[in-house]
Amino acid sequence: MAPLHQYLLLSALLFGIGLAGVLTRRNGLITLMGIELMLNAANLNFIAFWRHSPNPEAIEGVLLTMFAIGVAAAEVAVGLALVIAIYRRYRSVNLDEVDQLKG
Amino acid sequence: MSSQLEQFIPVLMLGAFAVIVTVGMLLLSVVLGRRGRNSRMKNIAYECGMIPIGPSNVRLSVKFYLVAMLFILFDIEVVFLYPWAVIYRELLAEPAMKNVALISMVSFLGILFAGYLYAVKKGAFDWKD
Amino acid sequence: MKGLELIGLEIAVIAAGIAILLLDLWTAKEDKRRLGYAAALLVGVIFLASFAMLFEGRQEAFHGMYVLDEFALFFKRFFLIAALLVLLISVEFADRFESGVAEYYAITLFALAGMMFAASANDFTLLFVSIELVAVCFYVLVSFQRQRDRSLEAGVKYLITGALSGGFLVYGIALIYGTAGTLNFRELASLGPEVLESRLLLLGLLFVFVGLGFKIAVVPFQIWVPDVYQGAPVPTTAFLAAGSKGAGVVLLARLLYTGLRPIADRWGPVLVMLAMLTILYGGLCAIPQRNFRRLMGYSSIVNAGFILLALAAGTADGLAATLFYLAAYLYGVMGAFVVLCLARCPGQEDETCVLAGLHHRSPLLAATLTLAMVSLAGIPPAAGFFGKFQVFKAVIGQGAAFPYPAWALGVAVFGAVVSLYFYLNVVRTVFWSSTSESVAPIRISHATRWAVYLVIFAILWLGILPGAILNLAEYAVHSMGL
Repeated sequence: MAPLHQYLLLSALLFGIGLAGVLTRRNGLITLMGIELMLNAANLNFIAFWRHSPNPEAIEGVLLTMFAIGVAAAEVAVGLALVIAIYRRYRSVNLDEVDQLKG
Repeated sequence: MSSQLEQFIPVLMLGAFAVIVTVGMLLLSVVLGRRGRNSRMKNIAYECGMIPIGPSNVRLSVKFYLVAMLFILFDIEVVFLYPWAVIYRELLAEPAMKNVALISMVSFLGILFAGYLYAVKKGAFDWKD
Repeated sequence: MKGLELIGLEIAVIAAGIAILLLDLWTAKEDKRRLGYAAALLVGVIFLASFAMLFEGRQEAFHGMYVLDEFALFFKRFFLIAALLVLLISVEFADRFESGVAEYYAITLFALAGMMFAASANDFTLLFVSIELVAVCFYVLVSFQRQRDRSLEAGVKYLITGALSGGFLVYGIALIYGTAGTLNFRELASLGPEVLESRLLLLGLLFVFVGLGFKIAVVPFQIWVPDVYQGAPVPTTAFLAAGSKGAGVVLLARLLYTGLRPIADRWGPVLVMLAMLTILYGGLCAIPQRNFRRLMGYSSIVNAGFILLALAAGTADGLAATLFYLAAYLYGVMGAFVVLCLARCPGQEDETCVLAGLHHRSPLLAATLTLAMVSLAGIPPAAGFFGKFQVFKAVIGQGAAFPYPAWALGVAVFGAVVSLYFYLNVVRTVFWSSTSESVAPIRISHATRWAVYLVIFAILWLGILPGAILNLAEYAVHSMGL
């Protein structure tokens, strides 16, 4: 079994890549992918912490991972629908173009 | 307790690491991503060296996206079905949990079925038109 | 099973949502609008049923994940009233949705269920699930007018910022799980200060606070507020201001006052700093606003600051003040948005024409809006005054124990004075602004008229006879063992 810190570094890397994707990319779909990556980084953390915990009977971490997967699916479904609606309206998924509300 | 915490010291790096990766990527894309290196020829799709014919992004029917979304939603629910199926026998052995195990899953599936009914009635699976 | 009767109210709300969704399939198009009354009626019945839930003290279910006490019930009733008013408003708004009127009601009910679960969350798992249930429902509710650019834009902005904060939230929970080895608030508190003050756990808590601060609209997580408030459909904005903020507050309060009780001296100063920043930012940005809904957005930020200030006190008084303040805020917001929904100008995105000369078009609505603004501004006979008074009392009552008392009071007074200016500016526009528009009187349906009366009655009742609700709030706080 790989040591804990390797998992944690990997998950930190995933989280960083996801965050960078959300912050820099203007494409709505890639932004959603970045968010998914951040959620999955957290999932990886949960599983790694559970696997290395002194008390593997406490399965709250794994439980939360399952809920996180379900929530991520719902979020992505709504996000995709919204991006499609944006595309139908603006003929583009570039989020920079969607910017009327100011003041 | 402190020895257990020491185990997690590498994790302290993680916050810094996440920040460094983010900032590093932002900086790298500024430094490396200079403009003007693109040419029209360079931007066309690579098809074994031939000049491509026709647009590369073939339009697919929007219907596909609806099906894909419904698939994601119904598919993910297996996440909750699977562990339930694994421990169902054990739950049956306990008299207190016997009914709860069944009722909780039936009600969950009932909610899913309501969603399915809604999708069917609204014509989400209707391919023609 | 023991847990099931405790979550009876939530089950009823979800069943009502599904019933509305399925009823819609067999309802004629012109009758769909009226499903909203059915939904409102069901919510009203569930509200009354909540008084039948008499339990001796605090009860836990699902391995301590869910807790039912007076504190949770107070917030459940708060959310039920908010949803009831929102449903009544959205029936008035229904003709502005191109499609899916019944879905709007159903999703409002699902969001309500999420808020009610949030009121009882005693565990990071339920915290996460309930907050995401509310968030996903609101992504849909905000972008519900798909043919309107602004609604779509508000939706996409809310989705990106909301999902980002959700990512931080769940990552933070992972870090807490790793260091503490538990996700339960009670067990977290029993670990003692030395574990709670480990750096990694504090980092995790910071990430969790990003997720909650986003919901409450605390600086620096307030970026989305003005745009979304302006772009979203009016009933959604009302629900966002009252319900979604309330869900964030109840989760934060439960986390701070049970799980993080041992390190109260740590989070107190942080909350005060953020509260001061929030009040200053919201107050200063609200001054130049000309769009009423943007103004309400900044007003929501200022109020988030006051709520945070009360929470930061860390005492039973502070928590009771938070509860009362939220109740007063609910009716102020609902009063403003019910007027905004009824008094509309077709074809115009800007709301200035709604306000100008409103007292010619409908004296009742002008009076409601005035009362709502007076309440939000914190002027004596109205509810908001007593809410602000309670917050100041909680801060002063702490004395020197409160972090930076002089600064906090100074900023709070400044915030109160500034908000006096911009709320009364709205009242001035209603009564003393020259109207060029044709003055068609506004017709109000019976159900909405009752909603308006309820709001007026509640604002005056909370302002003149605050004792009953205040007792309820204190009772709720005591049920948490403070």
